[in-house]
Amino acid sequence: MTQSSQAARGSLLRERLDVQARRLTDFWSFYKGSWIGMLGLFIVIGFVIMAVVAPLITPYDPRALVGRPFQPPMGEHPLGTDQVGRDIYSQLIWGSRVSLMVGLLASAFGVAIGTIIGLVSGYFRGLPDSILMRITDLFITLPGLPLMLILAALLGRSMWNIILVIAVTGWTGTARMVRSQTLSIKERPYVEAARSVGARDRHIITRHILPNVFPLVFANAIVGIVDAILAESGLSFLGLGDPTKPSWGQLLRYANEAGALATGRWWFIIPPGICIMLVAIGFAFSSYSLDQILNPRLRKRRW
Amino acid sequence: MVATPILEVEGLVTHYFTSQGPVEAVSGVSFAVDEGQTLGLAGESGCGKTTAALSIMGLLPSNGRIMDGKIILDGEDLLKKDEAAMRKIRWKKVSIVFQGAMNALNPVINVGEQIAEVIIEKERASKEKAWERVRELFKLVEIEPSRAQGFPHEFSGGMRQRVMIAMALALYPKLVIADEPITALDVIVQNQILDLMRHLQEKLNLSQILITHDLSVIAETCDKVGIMYAGKLMEYADATPIFKAPLHPYTSALIGAYPSIVGEKRALKFISGAPPNLIDPPKGCRFHPRCPFAKNVCNRDEPKYREEEADHYVACHFVDELRDKLRLGDG
Amino acid sequence: MGLKEYIGRRTLQGITTVLLAIVLNFIIFRIMPGDPTRVLVGDPRVETETRLALIEKFGLERPLLEQFFLYFYNLFRGELGVSFTQIGRPVTEIILGRKMVNTLVLMGSSMSIAFLLGIVFGVIAAWKRGTKADISFIIFSLATYSMPVFWFGMILLLVFSVYFNVFPIAGTITPGVTHPNFLSYASDYLHHLMAPMITLAVSFFGGYFLFMRDTILDVFTEDYMLTARAKGLSDRKVLFKHAMRNALLPMVSLMGVHVTFLISGATMTETVFSWDGLGRLIYDSVRMADYPVLQGIFLIMSILVVVASILADITNAILDPRIREAVD
Repeated sequence: MTQSSQAARGSLLRERLDVQARRLTDFWSFYKGSWIGMLGLFIVIGFVIMAVVAPLITPYDPRALVGRPFQPPMGEHPLGTDQVGRDIYSQLIWGSRVSLMVGLLASAFGVAIGTIIGLVSGYFRGLPDSILMRITDLFITLPGLPLMLILAALLGRSMWNIILVIAVTGWTGTARMVRSQTLSIKERPYVEAARSVGARDRHIITRHILPNVFPLVFANAIVGIVDAILAESGLSFLGLGDPTKPSWGQLLRYANEAGALATGRWWFIIPPGICIMLVAIGFAFSSYSLDQILNPRLRKRRW
Repeated sequence: MVATPILEVEGLVTHYFTSQGPVEAVSGVSFAVDEGQTLGLAGESGCGKTTAALSIMGLLPSNGRIMDGKIILDGEDLLKKDEAAMRKIRWKKVSIVFQGAMNALNPVINVGEQIAEVIIEKERASKEKAWERVRELFKLVEIEPSRAQGFPHEFSGGMRQRVMIAMALALYPKLVIADEPITALDVIVQNQILDLMRHLQEKLNLSQILITHDLSVIAETCDKVGIMYAGKLMEYADATPIFKAPLHPYTSALIGAYPSIVGEKRALKFISGAPPNLIDPPKGCRFHPRCPFAKNVCNRDEPKYREEEADHYVACHFVDELRDKLRLGDG
Repeated sequence: MGLKEYIGRRTLQGITTVLLAIVLNFIIFRIMPGDPTRVLVGDPRVETETRLALIEKFGLERPLLEQFFLYFYNLFRGELGVSFTQIGRPVTEIILGRKMVNTLVLMGSSMSIAFLLGIVFGVIAAWKRGTKADISFIIFSLATYSMPVFWFGMILLLVFSVYFNVFPIAGTITPGVTHPNFLSYASDYLHHLMAPMITLAVSFFGGYFLFMRDTILDVFTEDYMLTARAKGLSDRKVLFKHAMRNALLPMVSLMGVHVTFLISGATMTETVFSWDGLGRLIYDSVRMADYPVLQGIFLIMSILVVVASILADITNAILDPRIREAVD
């Protein structure tokens, strides 16, 4: 490769990066304008910080027995203690780690699986498409929670199993969406043009299809986080969570099984639920704003 | 006998308010349609003709507003009417036929029902009476009445356009606005529809506004012609003088852009450049950036829209200088 | 092709999917680690005779492929196995019966309410886009969507049962009471149904509302909406006849897929409210490792989902004339 063509390549790359940077700043100025989105982002960042500095802000080890059971909020235990004597406040703070990790990873994996399947299906069509679509249909009709419960029960109670289970049951929406997007992009003139000058499949997929599919996939991923967080808390509540890691769903399970309801121990019940709700709202608000920006039809107003 | 205008539009100004600023879609346009006559509004896309039509019907989107002017339909000033009153007028006094390529018919309701519903609702007719008229209308537009229960996707483009025409006539309105009614159809079907529209106009003594960018259609069907550009009327006169002796360079260019089968062979003219951005329209005459005859004054002052000859209005600084040139088809 | 052919084709597809689900069911339970059938054989709760009989009946000591065919055969004879915890009681008896009815009642009522309210408010919110009412509904929907179902149930219980005593704490009917007639029984049942139904309905409302609103806004950009307005039809006609009928199409498809979420929601709600239905049965079975029951429920649920999906597609075909023509 000659020096000049190298230089040309370099400037082409710089140009492309410039365009991307500009798109991002445009997008950010749109996003900033929506108070719902900003509030959501703010909440999410708050919880991420909470998860990261957890060891610094919790007085006790969440798994340690540090007091008498069922103590109401007071002094050393701002949220009281659970049914065996662990500090609820500490468990609450540490629980953010589980929720965020499971939420982000499960959604990411699920979206990754869905995107790959959707791309292969939509781009190559023919036999792979039929097979993959039948499989997708099958997974859609399989009842989600029971499947998750069974898989979790069979695979054992660990956080990674939960991430796997949620990802495996949740990729279908993304797959369908990516497939239909791929189909429509494939028909566009510039793709045909690229193909006619001999561009290889890999090139077309990475250069043309992926960038166009990405915004919707990203929006889907954010919604997926909400569902994943809720799924994780549900699974933990039903007893399939990782017993070694404190999580909000688990706290609620303790509350339920220890009869906190009947005895009115609200400090056991309300805080974990509020945390789950807030994190989910954070992502839900963000995804709502994202959707408003990325979905062109919602912007065009007829009346 | 003096013809009474069914519709009089005076000084209509309509703006769209966008995040980048107000778009001056229509900037002071006046025209009239006499009873039983067809007015043609011609111009490139984006010149404001559809906006004018929507303004008349009060169908602007939420970010559009009529800023000034008078719209007098059958003696009533439409701009003084509120939404409820406009709703009563819509379709009864004035109806509109949209472009056929559009998804203008509801895909999940059968076509007969889409026509019948407006008869039932506005004339309080019974279902039987309404459907009877549906069948009559179908016969009028030359479709088998038995197809009235079909769905839009079961009809071809030309047939759908006939359905739209039948629907527009459902309440026997005084005025029908046709916005690019044949543009999306293939040539043979275009002729059929044009014939149909001409036939209907005679039979029902309809008044029409025909909006199109295709001058050859206007030449065939219209009594009066208005040439619009960038939201303003450039020229406005009866059809014959427009085509035989245009007074505005834009008109002449538009005519020249169409081949003529009769007459001598001449080079097709085409108008270079593109219509201007209406958020920030050009100063002076809006056409000056593309006008082959433009001089400095065109850049500075907007030409007055004046009656240069009997019933022939033009907005140009150099009417006298260009009169002969344009007539001969040069320039 | 017409409607009948479409229904036929769709049903056939559904049957294929059910068959696939059955196979999957079998695979999960026999092949995955922690094979429950082997667990059964080693489970001390089961008596020797029963154990031997079960081994014989389900061919647990024969090669896997033979087991599969045996499973199928038993399936078609209506045999889903025998519960581990309620020793000897056939799974079919446990599942199909009162529990199923309770779950269907809970799911049906909450989904209907959520759906109806969701679409009506979705339409109105889209119509009044940007107003305070619209935004309040959006925030409400996003908030309830983010709320874990079981937690909402718990809060409801805490406030209305423990503090205010408006709703009963648990169960489908008040225990120990005999009802003189059906009306009294029904009203007691309904009283117990209130809290779980509200929980489920509120948690689903948000999703339906947002989706409907989105869809209607999409429909508003279509050309035929301009035509409807141009015809001078009343706002009500334009919204509910022209816009909604088109917006319902994706909604109905959504419902078909949504049944799985309904099942998840029902499971959690039934657990919190001790509502005697299949959802709670799932929870109990998981806790007690009662695999035959789990497997049976799983199968029933799969069938339910497939049926719902077929119904949704058929409804779509009825509402949308274009679908019947399309070739798959």
